[in-house]
Amino acid sequence: MVRFVLRRILWSLVTLLLVATIAFFAVNLLLPYDFAVGVGQRPGAISVIREQLGLDRPLWVRWLDYLWHLVRGDLGESFGGASVTGLVWGVLPITVAVFAVGGIVAYLLGEWFGRWVAWSRNRFLRGASSTASILAFTAFPPWLVFLLLFFASERLARLRAFFGLTAVPPRARPGDTLPVVLAAGLVAALIAGILLRAWARRRDHRILGPAALPACLALLGAILAAAGLWKQALDRLLWPSAVMATVALVIIAFGESMLVMRAGVSAEMAEDYVFTARAKGLPGRLIRDRHVARNAVLPVISRLITSVPYLISGLIIIERQLSIDGVASLFFRAIESADVPVILGILVVVGLVGLVLRIVLDAVEVVLDPRVRIEGQAV
Amino acid sequence: MSSSPAGYHISGWRDTRQRVLRSKLVIGGLAILALFAVLSFIHPVLQATVWSSRQSVYRPETGHDPTILNPSGPTWAHPLGTDSLGRDVLSLVTYGLRPSFTVAIATALSAGVIGTVAGTSSAFFRGKYDRLLSHVSDAFVLLPPPLIFLLASKRGLLGPFELGLLYGLFFGLGPAAIVVRSRSLAVMEKPFIEAARCAGGGPRWIITHHVIPEVMPHTAVVVLAGVVGALITQGFVEFLGIAEYRYGLGTLVYNALAYGMALGTRAPWSSLLAGALSISLLASSFYMISAGLREVSDPRRGQRRI
Repeated sequence: MVRFVLRRILWSLVTLLLVATIAFFAVNLLLPYDFAVGVGQRPGAISVIREQLGLDRPLWVRWLDYLWHLVRGDLGESFGGASVTGLVWGVLPITVAVFAVGGIVAYLLGEWFGRWVAWSRNRFLRGASSTASILAFTAFPPWLVFLLLFFASERLARLRAFFGLTAVPPRARPGDTLPVVLAAGLVAALIAGILLRAWARRRDHRILGPAALPACLALLGAILAAAGLWKQALDRLLWPSAVMATVALVIIAFGESMLVMRAGVSAEMAEDYVFTARAKGLPGRLIRDRHVARNAVLPVISRLITSVPYLISGLIIIERQLSIDGVASLFFRAIESADVPVILGILVVVGLVGLVLRIVLDAVEVVLDPRVRIEGQAV
Repeated sequence: MSSSPAGYHISGWRDTRQRVLRSKLVIGGLAILALFAVLSFIHPVLQATVWSSRQSVYRPETGHDPTILNPSGPTWAHPLGTDSLGRDVLSLVTYGLRPSFTVAIATALSAGVIGTVAGTSSAFFRGKYDRLLSHVSDAFVLLPPPLIFLLASKRGLLGPFELGLLYGLFFGLGPAAIVVRSRSLAVMEKPFIEAARCAGGGPRWIITHHVIPEVMPHTAVVVLAGVVGALITQGFVEFLGIAEYRYGLGTLVYNALAYGMALGTRAPWSSLLAGALSISLLASSFYMISAGLREVSDPRRGQRRI
């Protein structure tokens, strides 16, 4: 098992270098030299700038140089002179927080809803949920953001007023670590809730099963309240554009996870073991949650993880629409000024996130699916 | 196949066709797609006939109807209303569909061809070539084609067809190649491949006559799902106005949001809805066909609707 994981990680590094290579050539061929032309006015100045940035070297030398830096964990320097690693780190927390919370909520909703619709065998529900989820999945992000702003921003402002918060949260100070802590806490609470719920379901715990997630979130709230950060935390949590971005991401990601879950549950429902369980007299809820749903969740998780690059692209579009200071703002600024290293850095980081999640998926598969476990030992 | 003797005509195609046409998703998707195709083709026709008497009103980019208050709701003269600048929304939609269809066709073509060639060949030849190609595909899967599409359109040299080809290149070498390869590997284990080898079939013959027909539906599923992403991204590129070509459905949405709000008039729902829903519905038609084909081509799910 350990050898399997180690080998997986080693090959992942090779894949990451390949990702960097493809991104390097794609970006350099699509946006050649524009930065120097944009900055230098006189022809002489352009060649000086190119020399300073090392753009006068042939492409393959720059490529090897880039890989060499990447291997040492360095994403290079932006054309503006700042470290790309620092730039990306600066904008990553908000994007990752929105992405993680949105992704997990979309998964939870899709899993629950898909299971319910498939289990009910209601033809009207089935048609309605198909239509709704296909429309949600293919929604045009700027339009979705417009709808959210149009219908929800007023309500969100009222909700903020209800908690005695100012309509617009104060601007984040550079050294403020609370949003990062909060985001990490929220993601941790959600994951802990999911794990606890899975454990409770396996033990057929009647109360703990449905209560696991609320309990974990309440625990997070209690910790925050005990630390006296309650109000500040709520202020950050109800940050209007972050809430909108999360909701928009949930809408886009929800459709597909629901369809996959529904298809999975429908397929499992025809299996013989369900028939056996019914004949044994097990209650329907138990068959659904303990037997059918557990067999159907794996494709949902794997579909979500394989569509991570697409979801991140969607989130970047959404962020840009809401003018959030996340990866999107960095990406579009870099595109505007043809800042190749920054664009490359973002692409490589997106690839890295996808890669890490894929390794996590492999691990989850080993845990959830005994067949993979046995094959994994054989490897 | 044409080589099968008459009277023994066992056709998988007829059976497949019946199953495909029984799928409501495929039918629904095809219906929406046909509607948009008609809308797209109707533009020059309307321009030459109904709209020809009032050219200045119905020209897609610069038209303006001075006789009514804009934006206006649906009327007989403007079935989808007019936008804040007084342009006829129907003419905008029918005109803006063209680049969308171009991108869809280009993406489907390049993703389909590249995915099929890469996937089937790597399943056929196996060995080092397969391992190399698999690693390349693994890398391509991690790169989001929408971001590459955005980058490429920023340079402003590429039209919708080239952008679609580029999206298809990234999608075809990534997800499409992986799906086609895994399906082709399953096909390669089947006895008729062995038979074809014994009969003296060369690699090219076996791939084009035995492997590709078998994996075709699965290729279609993944390629059409890729077209969805390309269409949405293209709409966003048009929305940002960074592409080389001037007008698309995304531009319609942008104009509706930018001018409608700036002018302080009523929200131009007619143009906003028409633009956003056209992008969304066109994309969902491809998604529906893809989802319908997936359920038909997956024997495990048989008759079930997804």
